[in-house]
Amino acid sequence: MINKFLKGLTTAVALGAFAFAAVPAQADVLDDIKERGVLRVGVKADYKPYGFRDTSGAIIGIEPDLAQDVADKLGVAVEFIPVVSSNRMQFLEQGKVDLMIATMTDKPDRRKVVSIVDPNYYSSGTNILAAKSFGFTAWEDLRGKPVCGIQGAFYNKKTGRDFGANIVAFKGTAEAYAALQAGNCVGFVYDDSSIIASLAQPQWSDYEMPLPTIDDAPWGLAVKLGEEGFNTLMSEMIVEWHKSGRILELETKWGVENTPFATAMNAKYQ
Amino acid sequence: MNKTNPKIMPVMMAPRARATDPIRLKAWHGAALAAFVVLVSIPAFAQADGARDSVFTALARWMPLLLKGFIFNVVISISAMAIGTLAGAALGLGQISLSSWVRKTSWFVTQFFRNAPWLVLLFFAMFLLPFELRIGGIIIPLPDYLKAIIGLSLPVMANVSEIVRGAVVSLPSGQWEAAESLAFTRTQVLWRIILPQCVKRMLPPWMNLYSILTMATVLASIVGVSEVMTLTGQVLAAEGGRTDLLLPIYSTVLLMFFIYCYPIARLTLRLEKKFAVKT
Repeated sequence: MINKFLKGLTTAVALGAFAFAAVPAQADVLDDIKERGVLRVGVKADYKPYGFRDTSGAIIGIEPDLAQDVADKLGVAVEFIPVVSSNRMQFLEQGKVDLMIATMTDKPDRRKVVSIVDPNYYSSGTNILAAKSFGFTAWEDLRGKPVCGIQGAFYNKKTGRDFGANIVAFKGTAEAYAALQAGNCVGFVYDDSSIIASLAQPQWSDYEMPLPTIDDAPWGLAVKLGEEGFNTLMSEMIVEWHKSGRILELETKWGVENTPFATAMNAKYQ
Repeated sequence: MNKTNPKIMPVMMAPRARATDPIRLKAWHGAALAAFVVLVSIPAFAQADGARDSVFTALARWMPLLLKGFIFNVVISISAMAIGTLAGAALGLGQISLSSWVRKTSWFVTQFFRNAPWLVLLFFAMFLLPFELRIGGIIIPLPDYLKAIIGLSLPVMANVSEIVRGAVVSLPSGQWEAAESLAFTRTQVLWRIILPQCVKRMLPPWMNLYSILTMATVLASIVGVSEVMTLTGQVLAAEGGRTDLLLPIYSTVLLMFFIYCYPIARLTLRLEKKFAVKT
């Protein structure tokens, strides 16, 4: 009887202590990750070659490779959680992911929501893919014409507002490319590095990237607001990636031409 | 004069024989559908060159992943149906309760969820539920697919509630009167006499509802669950915007749902005929 009572008491105390201990542990996500043994990273799963699926369903690409580097450094396993532009910051805020490397453009308003790590790890600009026969030379040539885009991309607004194009936004790149080929729009506004990759394919031989690249904007990977320890660690990692030429190496590995940004950062940190 | 023949009056036309069975799909219809999928792939097949492989190879490569995604849809549909049926049965019985308070509440809940768009309910479940529940020191994670199941089970619940109420009401009142005259209590009447007779009446609409629910599971792709539609988009992205794959892959997904749902529809029709109330 007494034994049973004591046992119950011990359990209650242990549970209470556990509940108590769980609260301060939230303060530093690094301890949580090590205790859990898994680093949860939010990555894109529909953005070749930065994050996409292989035939087994696993998520691969430049950003998953970078995430793997972080997990190796921490000595834990990695778990990729597919995110899309509309939910990636929420996932980080809720603690569903510990780290987000998801092709996110570094914007001041986003810095208020999540903790974007300096320096930036990547950069891309905006351009269009259009048939050579149109002979576009300036962004103003798009005025009043239908231009395909991707839902949720920040440059849609600019292309529509500043240059007067009529944006037709699609869910995925495949749909946008199909619409472009079918002639539903005169061009497809997208990241320049992805357009360069597409132009290398024979099916796009009659197309070109005719305009000057605009909005060359850096990409930011992010941790939850207030996670100073993790932010510092990631900052060191990014410097290390630039210094060792890891980003350039990954670009080559995944078939992207070395971007001016990655080359410049590599030179800067030498 | 106009040319209408005054001898033929627009009344009393001989009744035309009505086909006993409406158009019924046979095996060859499925073959035709498959052939359509193959046909739309042919232009792509013709232009396949060394640089990239044919549509068939690409489809075969992604088939296991797409099937895995589809199985996930089936799991979501079965779970949502199970939860929805249990909750809906309780709600349906609430609608025929003797207590007016219970009856009115059940009626209101049923009508509310029955007349709300499924997608809106799904969004509600997604954004109202936390991603993990914290009870004391124990953390119960609520992954997205679980939230989707809960979100989809709400309209199922309301529809099942109506199916139960409708079935009970549809029984001739003589059943109630006869049972009461034999001094059965209300609970006994309900469980031993009324509900057993209702089951076969409820089965066809219930299966219909399941079919509809299965097709509605693709809505979960909008809220980010990795089911077959989400994977389809990701597969297309992984193929690097190959436009020739768009139609074959979406057709494949369509075919999967058809192959799964059509037998259910056939079986429902057969049960409906078997249990048809002869008047």
